[in-house]
Amino acid sequence: MKTSFLAVGVLAAATVAMPAQADKLDDIIASGTLRCAVVLDFPPMGSRDADNNPIGFDVDYCNDLAAALGVTAEIVETTFPERIPSLMSGRVDVAVASTSDTLERAKTVGFTIPYYSFENAVVANEKVEMATWEDMKGKTVGATAGTYEAIWLEGKVKEWGEGEFRPYQTQADVFLALSQGQLDATVATVEVSEANVKSGNFPGIKIVDKAPMVPDYVALITLREEYGLINYMNLFINQQVRTGRYAELYKKWVGEGEPANLTIPGVYR
Amino acid sequence: MFNYNFRWNQALNSLPQMLEGALVTMEIAVLSMAIGITIAIVLTLFRLSGIRALSAVAATWVEIARNTPALFQIYMVHFGLGGFGIHLSPYLSLLIGIAFNNAGYLAENFRGALKAIPETQTRAARSLGMTPIQAFHNVIMPQMLRISFLPMTNQMVWAILMTSLGAVVAMNTDLYGVTSDLNARTFRTFELFAIAAVIFYLITKAITLSARLVAARLFRY
Repeated sequence: MKTSFLAVGVLAAATVAMPAQADKLDDIIASGTLRCAVVLDFPPMGSRDADNNPIGFDVDYCNDLAAALGVTAEIVETTFPERIPSLMSGRVDVAVASTSDTLERAKTVGFTIPYYSFENAVVANEKVEMATWEDMKGKTVGATAGTYEAIWLEGKVKEWGEGEFRPYQTQADVFLALSQGQLDATVATVEVSEANVKSGNFPGIKIVDKAPMVPDYVALITLREEYGLINYMNLFINQQVRTGRYAELYKKWVGEGEPANLTIPGVYR
Repeated sequence: MFNYNFRWNQALNSLPQMLEGALVTMEIAVLSMAIGITIAIVLTLFRLSGIRALSAVAATWVEIARNTPALFQIYMVHFGLGGFGIHLSPYLSLLIGIAFNNAGYLAENFRGALKAIPETQTRAARSLGMTPIQAFHNVIMPQMLRISFLPMTNQMVWAILMTSLGAVVAMNTDLYGVTSDLNARTFRTFELFAIAAVIFYLITKAITLSARLVAARLFRY
């Protein structure tokens, strides 16, 4: 009698003293809110509508993820360079921010499987004679600082050894500079390029060519050690494709046509 | 505090690049101060001239430079002038933007310094047969620069710190630009910006300390 009483007491004390290690996934579900970092000057992935509400592919993607988790989504606006500080300082739980999954970055943050893939276009000022992407050699070119295409383009300019590379802070500034003729050409995702040529906000620009880059696979990111959450998000991305939601969001934000295939033939993930 | 493992060795490998960036930062600060001081003296002369149009120019300059953000001024040099077909490189946009800001603040410093110099000195100089320009150049200006020497070093520190605003005009060779470029590649945000902050601190500290030494030597009474 006495011993069993003691045993129950010890057991109870142990349960109180050693709660199961709660990870980020638990924290999100317990708090009832999923905080996503989204870049909102990167249409069609993220932007604001006339009433200043966040909209776009990434915004919907975050909402879907929150719905799957059974929590409410909170969109935290971020810039490309601010993604990591907001994650590390715990201001957001994940970044749904078109983050290219480079090996260099994977040393610091945890990437899921790709949830989207961009192809990039070369866009030029109409007054500049350009026929192919290689005509960028020797010209003044620029792109949005901190993006995959900016890193690629800067590398090309260094390789060519002539011309100038300028990293502007936002996609809007890149197109403003291009429209004014401060830049001869830029490399931007096909989605963004087409949206900007169509919108008429930046007169005097034209799409010249596709940029010969490896497709820019982008993934969701969170802290590197949050395997539980990464696992969950991998399955979530798989389900988005499986259920047709991926194609639906593509049609809603990007346009007609097939969204990019997210698998790479000939290799396991 | 937060979930981050500092990996200093990787970030320290970038130190040579960042130091090169620091040189560009100092170059811009020094040039912008040289241009700023020159323009500020001209603006001060405009104010002293008693010609209404000229003092209006000086007043407008000072008002805009002191009452709008430096970020805005630099942005306008690049994109504002760009709208009129005047295309300046990021380097020039940043330099001109900071010089514009410096000139406004320094002109105001000079005005304060002038108030500390008794007006009778000008009259005395004039009565010795100096022209107004000579009186300003030989008697007033040296004292004005001496009185405003320490405020000038203040502005120099500001100029160093303002170079980080060059990012809005795509400046990527200065200390901030180099750092944020490295950050985009590696995501080692905290190490890189901590190193940049230390470099900024050392530069500005060196400026204030050496200014004090110079002042102690030059301005001994």
